[in-house]
Amino acid sequence: MTEQLPIIIILGPLMAAVLAAFAGWFRPKLSHPLVLLGLAASFAAALKLVFIVADGGTQKYWLGGWGDKVIPGQKDPFVVGIQITVDHLNTLLLAAVSGIALLTAIYAKRLVDTELAGRQRYFDALFALLVTGLLGISITGDIFNLYVFMEIAALSSYALIAYGKSRAYMASFNYLIMGTMGACLYLLGIGFIFIKGGTLNIDDLSGIIPTLQADGPSQALFVGFILIILGAWAKMAFFPFHGWLPNAYTYAPTASASVLAPLATKVAVYAMLRIMLTVYSIDYIVGLNGIQPIALYLSTAAIVMGSFLSLTQTNLKMIACYFVISEIGYMVGGAWLANKPGLTGAMYHLVADAAMTSALFMAIGCIVYRLGQAQLESLRGVFFKMPVTMTAFVVTMAALIGVPPTCGFFSKWYLIQGAAQAGVWHFVVALLLSSLVKAIILFRIVEIGYNRVPHPAIQGNPAIERKEAPLSMLIPTLVMALGLIVLGLYTDTLVGTNTIIGKAVSAALTP
Amino acid sequence: MENLIANFNYVIVVILMMIGLWAMLAQKNLIKKCIGMAIFQTGIILFFISIGAKNEAKVPILSKFVAENPPAIIVNDYANPLTQILMLTAIVVGVAILGVGLALAQKIYQQYSTFDEDEILENQRK
Repeated sequence: MTEQLPIIIILGPLMAAVLAAFAGWFRPKLSHPLVLLGLAASFAAALKLVFIVADGGTQKYWLGGWGDKVIPGQKDPFVVGIQITVDHLNTLLLAAVSGIALLTAIYAKRLVDTELAGRQRYFDALFALLVTGLLGISITGDIFNLYVFMEIAALSSYALIAYGKSRAYMASFNYLIMGTMGACLYLLGIGFIFIKGGTLNIDDLSGIIPTLQADGPSQALFVGFILIILGAWAKMAFFPFHGWLPNAYTYAPTASASVLAPLATKVAVYAMLRIMLTVYSIDYIVGLNGIQPIALYLSTAAIVMGSFLSLTQTNLKMIACYFVISEIGYMVGGAWLANKPGLTGAMYHLVADAAMTSALFMAIGCIVYRLGQAQLESLRGVFFKMPVTMTAFVVTMAALIGVPPTCGFFSKWYLIQGAAQAGVWHFVVALLLSSLVKAIILFRIVEIGYNRVPHPAIQGNPAIERKEAPLSMLIPTLVMALGLIVLGLYTDTLVGTNTIIGKAVSAALTP
Repeated sequence: MENLIANFNYVIVVILMMIGLWAMLAQKNLIKKCIGMAIFQTGIILFFISIGAKNEAKVPILSKFVAENPPAIIVNDYANPLTQILMLTAIVVGVAILGVGLALAQKIYQQYSTFDEDEILENQRK
């Protein structure tokens, strides 16, 4: 049974998507439980695999049993099929993606019922399809398969965004153009790798690529690498390809944004990490003269620009979107530092940031559900009206700023350490500046939400009625916010030398 | 120069991709952007098909005799089937994206009665 676990991770949501679309035809009420069931199966399998991988190392699975066939007369096993790999690099991400998707599915039910009445079953099916794509990107061991899953995720996210009001169509169209360009560049890059390597299997390629470079650097491999990295950057909204993200996630329905914002960009970062660390290698990246500093400067620019633009916004959703852009800068920068603390920070931040962004968008969704909008000015008295939601919100903001017991502190700590070790001081400054800006925004929200109304506890002031979001939304939000602290407290069991992330980093650093 | 003539298919691929990329990024008309997207994808498909082709290569299906005697397989006699299969998938993906893109463009037209990006932006500002 355990050897079938990797495929269950993808099959759960995929089957749920198909069944939800059909069952919804006859019994619209069935579609949501089906999606929950599929995601729960996927999450259970992913969680079990985390422990299996932590103890037993990499787990491989061949689709349909094709692969590892030994042909008579040839020494090496012949790879035909598509491989699915769960190793130290992606197992935590798989658990995070499926777990967050499950929580978001529970959370989004009420939002979907109000925002998309009558179209719930389409949303449910698309949601499950999106999660299938994201999990597929994270689990696949084949670079072309990665492209296909990337497009599955992208197509469902275009539709999910276009469900929104007024400007959503235009935002979705811009995302479609940018996303397709990114995917096409990625596909072109695969072509170059395939010309030289002759295989698409990631494990095979990681062995072949060094031998191809024995007599000096190969131009085709270099071009392929650059194209793939550019494609991944366009997909993850890295500066200067970030233009599509704020509008797309702001005008999307709140339910769609709460699953897209935390997961879609993070998975694209993982795809970049996989190409950089497994297909190519750390030595290759360090050996690329001039590319590494450019990537680091761009990361700094992404962080600084995302932070400053978030200061100029008046809509809470828009602010959160610019946070996403600056967080992307953290991870790309950490990966390109190419030293031990930098990579640790980037890999840890991948999981931590998925959780933080998810909690942030969930809290914003609760506010939007009650207030009907997310303009900063409309937040007056919100701390008295929704104290529990705002507690979760403040905890999340604390994590984003990097206050010690939360996970945001530890990932930033490693990133700063890595940048200092590599002597990249502009990145250190950008990281600290970003914390500062987030603190300013938190204080501004506290000022509007707490201070701009007469305090209701003082006699004579008008009382403010408490009106929390419904429990089905509030509980996932609180679980997520609590998760940020728990994740922070368990940092040592995740990033120490002999732990999952620790092993992933040392595997990346030793050729 | 001889190199260019011998590999004219790659030259065409590059030209197609440049046209597509330019149309996607620089054109203001949403339908033209969609057309650019299709051209870009066609360029990539041609590129992959070109790298799989070989002079005087056979269809990659093994006869029973050859299959039973692996050393008799001469790889250079067969065209690489993998690129064509990959492009079959890529064509499907491309058609799906084009469909979604055109559907979105249609919705935008219903909303603003124009395909022009500048006019839409002006409309949004009002």
